[in-house]
Amino acid sequence: MTIRSIAAIAAFAASLHVIPAAAQEVKPQDLKAVLKEVREMKQAYEKRIETLEAKLQTLSQDQTKAQESTVTGRVQGKGNAFNPSINAVIVGTATSFSRDASELSGFGIGEEGERGSEGLSLGETELNFSSNIDDKFFGSVTAAIVREDGSDKVELEEAYFQTLPGIGFPDGMRLKAGRAFWTLGYLNEHHQHSDDFADRPLPYRVYLNKSFNDDGAELSWVLPTDFYSEVGGGVFRGDDFPFGGSASGLGGWSAFGRVGGDIGDNQSWRLGAYTLQGDVNGRQTNEDAITFVGQSNLYAVDLRYTWAPTGNAREQELTLQAEYFQRFEDGEYNVGNGNGLVSFDDDSNGWYAQAVYKFAPAWRIGARYSRMGAPDVPLGLVGSTLDSAGHDPEAFAVMGDWTNSEYGRIRAQYNREELSDRQTDNQFVLQYIMSIGAHGAHPY
Amino acid sequence: MMKKLYWLIVIAALGVGIPLPAFAAVNVFACEPEWAALAREVGGDRVEAYAATHANQDPHHIRARPSLIAKIRRADLVFCSGAGLEVGWLPLLLQRGGAAIQPGERGHFMAAAHVEVVEKPALLDRSLGDLHPEGNPHVHLDPRNISLLAQELAARLSAIDPAGADFYAQRLRTFEASWSASMTGWNARAKALSGAPVIVHHKSWSYLIRWIGLQEVAVLEAKPGIPPSPSYLSKLLKRSRSQPAKVILRTPYDDAAPSEWLSQRTNVPALALPLTVDRDAGEGALADLFQLLLSRLEDADVRP
Repeated sequence: MTIRSIAAIAAFAASLHVIPAAAQEVKPQDLKAVLKEVREMKQAYEKRIETLEAKLQTLSQDQTKAQESTVTGRVQGKGNAFNPSINAVIVGTATSFSRDASELSGFGIGEEGERGSEGLSLGETELNFSSNIDDKFFGSVTAAIVREDGSDKVELEEAYFQTLPGIGFPDGMRLKAGRAFWTLGYLNEHHQHSDDFADRPLPYRVYLNKSFNDDGAELSWVLPTDFYSEVGGGVFRGDDFPFGGSASGLGGWSAFGRVGGDIGDNQSWRLGAYTLQGDVNGRQTNEDAITFVGQSNLYAVDLRYTWAPTGNAREQELTLQAEYFQRFEDGEYNVGNGNGLVSFDDDSNGWYAQAVYKFAPAWRIGARYSRMGAPDVPLGLVGSTLDSAGHDPEAFAVMGDWTNSEYGRIRAQYNREELSDRQTDNQFVLQYIMSIGAHGAHPY
Repeated sequence: MMKKLYWLIVIAALGVGIPLPAFAAVNVFACEPEWAALAREVGGDRVEAYAATHANQDPHHIRARPSLIAKIRRADLVFCSGAGLEVGWLPLLLQRGGAAIQPGERGHFMAAAHVEVVEKPALLDRSLGDLHPEGNPHVHLDPRNISLLAQELAARLSAIDPAGADFYAQRLRTFEASWSASMTGWNARAKALSGAPVIVHHKSWSYLIRWIGLQEVAVLEAKPGIPPSPSYLSKLLKRSRSQPAKVILRTPYDDAAPSEWLSQRTNVPALALPLTVDRDAGEGALADLFQLLLSRLEDADVRP
């Protein structure tokens, strides 16, 4: 209340007391004075309310501005957020074989597809750098240091960039270019150190020389369906197994489709179909003893299923996985047996199935069976390595591993391989896989 | 004739099996169920919220499975805890999503960025276990944080779906009103529990403990993410004789064995409390969660 109004009211009250007799009868001029005071009070308060409302208006506008800036504000990157994630994976094995030599008959096999080395040895030491390049691109380089022929060699396994959603492609579309473990089957995309077994199954050893990572580009698109579905395809130089000796520099292509989803809260699955086709302009296998020139078409189907019985996959999890491959080759083989170039137009197949059960957070056991269906050989190849004499190479593996964290794992595995007729090899493998540094998430 | 019928059935089955995307103004991909529940509270019918994990899963260890790729691809808003909780799987999923949900965009909402985060470690090294460099990410267990996040969520939803701005504002007001009313009751109950000593399996409960004012006297995991060894448990047993706790808390997905072992030897109840709500939880679920947590603590006679 203003002093004036207080004074006015006090005066009025006072006038009541001071002139009690006179106040019995309120005079018109007194009433007018009071009414005037009240009017003035009203005006004063209204003015104050107006000022307050104006202030409130400005304040709420400021607040909206502040809210908008929160909503659209860019996150300030921390200092180390710009550094790439750097990771080194070291793998070592202690192995014992029962056979001195192991040959896989019926197929031309590359160096990576052959049996590992016996005794104590270091596996591939893998270095990886990966990071967002900017708002539109992500890049990754993986180099493997491996001992071959008595010296350590550096092999470039991956060097690619891929687009990020910020590039403005249609939602779910992604381009990947460079050298990478391309989308083909289940295992090909994964680095071998994350496999559930110490070695790759027979179809990968035979058809892909452990993994396909040619130079090329791949476009993929996750479709806007309620369940997961993705399609894609790639083009490649045509240098890496199953291709070889690319003449044009554009010798192969691939296509794939995948679907997947959840079943309830605790199960998930994914099914995929793939093809990899192209010209083989001179693929050398079996330590360069065998050469193939022609056309190679590979088809594959993969299925993976996971189940967490208690709902918590960290505690207990069962994974089932199977892949089936079929390869059609049309060309000429030269096996160095004096028959020169032998025409070959046939198909072969290979498959594997595995089950891995994590029964405690750090403990898993697994079993895997793989088998190749050797092709019929033409007359000119009878008796050579490519003639399996009707035998289908097969391998059976059981493993148990202890995983302390995502960064350290130790595995014991037993393999029983019969890669050639009546040649059984019993193998024991003890393996460690340790990861130093930042570790990217593994895909499904 | 039979062939035609067969094909009709196949086509009908396909038609049913490929459902058209349900129309909602905003598709929210919530990493944890508590955020899906909050999205439904503030967003109502205009929001279709999907929770990527459920209450029995440890949100640290999730694989980027196919269904998550499909869901994030159509998301307009990604609502997660942040502070590194989902660092093992969310970045991989974000690469398959749209441009609007990438970090820094308005469709990327990390709860920990909008509330006060506790327990930022001074030292970072893998030998110290699974540390969260940005602090403790389980921010939803403090009802005051829920209130703050509801406001930010309404702002985000209004920015993404301006036509629904009034609707979201109204829903926010309703939610705030009932939440503040509930909080008065909860604060009173929390006061009665305040000061009581508790043991936890993993530091999932820090925000609840801070709000109620409980005292965390020990953590069963010697190092975060690494299960306790027998020797460490014996050490804890000895310590609990001089520093007794009132209750041992764990989440549904924590291993029961260490809690049970200690509980039997110290006669202190081991409680498995829900860390979050149901995947499909609707309105009122978050309030029910705090109700339940307080009731369970009271029932276990947790008093200072």
